[in-house]
Amino acid sequence: MIDQGIKSRPTYEALRRDPTGRRHLYLCAGEGPAPDALSDGPLESWTVAPAAAEGTLRRPQGEGERRFRSSRQLLDTLGRRLAGERMGLRLYAEGPEDFLWDVFGIAQDHGLGRSEVFLKQSGTLARRVQCVHCKTFNEGVTTTIVRCAGCGANLFVRDHFSRRLSAFQGVKIDAEQPGDVPQAERAYP
Amino acid sequence: MILDRLIPARVAGIDSLGPTLKRFRFEPESGRFPTAAPGAHILVTLRGPERVWKNAYSLVTPPDQRDGYAIIVRRVRDSRGGSHFLHDHLRPGDRVEIGPPASLFPIASLARRHILIGGGIGLTPFLSYVPVLRARGAAFELHQYCTDEETGIFRELLAEAGAGVTVHGETSRRSFTEVLTDQPLGTHVYTCGPAGMMEAVEAAARDLGWPEAAIHKESFGGAEGGRPFRVTLARSGRTLDVPETQSLLEALETAGIEAPCLCRGGACGVCLTGVVDGEIEHRDHVLTEEERAGGRLMATCVSRARSDVLVLDL
Repeated sequence: MIDQGIKSRPTYEALRRDPTGRRHLYLCAGEGPAPDALSDGPLESWTVAPAAAEGTLRRPQGEGERRFRSSRQLLDTLGRRLAGERMGLRLYAEGPEDFLWDVFGIAQDHGLGRSEVFLKQSGTLARRVQCVHCKTFNEGVTTTIVRCAGCGANLFVRDHFSRRLSAFQGVKIDAEQPGDVPQAERAYP
Repeated sequence: MILDRLIPARVAGIDSLGPTLKRFRFEPESGRFPTAAPGAHILVTLRGPERVWKNAYSLVTPPDQRDGYAIIVRRVRDSRGGSHFLHDHLRPGDRVEIGPPASLFPIASLARRHILIGGGIGLTPFLSYVPVLRARGAAFELHQYCTDEETGIFRELLAEAGAGVTVHGETSRRSFTEVLTDQPLGTHVYTCGPAGMMEAVEAAARDLGWPEAAIHKESFGGAEGGRPFRVTLARSGRTLDVPETQSLLEALETAGIEAPCLCRGGACGVCLTGVVDGEIEHRDHVLTEEERAGGRLMATCVSRARSDVLVLDL
């Protein structure tokens, strides 16, 4: 059930510093730190530590280090930052797939091209699932079948991933025979 | 789509723009010319008394203009003769054949802002960019670099191009680095002009961290002459001589061989031909370093021989 043979799924490689860039910004949906392959030179590093971790982590020390309370806050800040940026920047993002493509979408909206943004999946495999029927986004889905928070349909979580929406596609599983809903399996820990 | 039929046309008018610059206007014998793309060029077939030239020139007319095409040509001293023929012999009313327009220098559709850098007569493709960029409401700057004597000519050509245009003479010109510094994300640079200038633009952009995808070069005018050499065609066993002022492609055409070509400037790769023996002097912008080193392929439109004889797989 997990490999549905969809070939358009993005694949990810380890992050490496792109030496053709002049300024480098690392974005992590978790606590970091940036991988060594990025750190052999000046690097800005934006990480996320949830409010619950307050007081347990050391304060950011290095120049260009920032810590956010949520990935949402990081993404909002990124948009404002990119609006004033200049040619020569390279972005590196690390985190769950929905975070990566949210970063990519914001980057694209501000003019960055495919060769200026590098993505690496890490952390939870939980999926953002868009219901194809009511368009509701269901966050953090770990199972093969999920009940849509918007319309209540039982959605089969397809491997079809939209880079534009940073989401997988969920399709009503019992459309042919209402009520015939198989047992959900935990597949995306 | 690439059409390959030649279009019969007539010289509708010739305008002298400066001591070495002329604009040639063509109109179709019948019907209308095809719509071009911004940055497109045409192959003009010129039939002189002793030889035939097929030269590529950028269209300077707006891409949607179909009742007439125009090109601007500089009379160059050490040319292979095409520009001399155009300047000295072509008259209004003369018949020419024109290849359908092809564009190897398109406007990047994802770019947010466009910096066009022309050098001398390398301005020509940008003359067809400007009306398109203006119609799209696109953000752009055009920087034209030229000699002090020609600033007036180019200012006049660009009179209607709008506010983003700067013509730089030799004195107090802005460096490419200054032009390219502090440009917002999503800016693309396009350059057309002498090879050295285009390399300098590319180097300045790279130095500022611009990705390759944001740097565009038009690589025309690569077909310079060189040492004469002899060519043997392996399949037909024919032998022909390539004189100093002719390209290998022209020599093949003179011998009646229908060799493939499109840009005639070493940019498109359509003319790549197998080489069986001999040493190649590569001058194209298509082959990779590995392919060059392999010595088994060459662009007949610009590249020449280092050895006295080349054996081609033709």
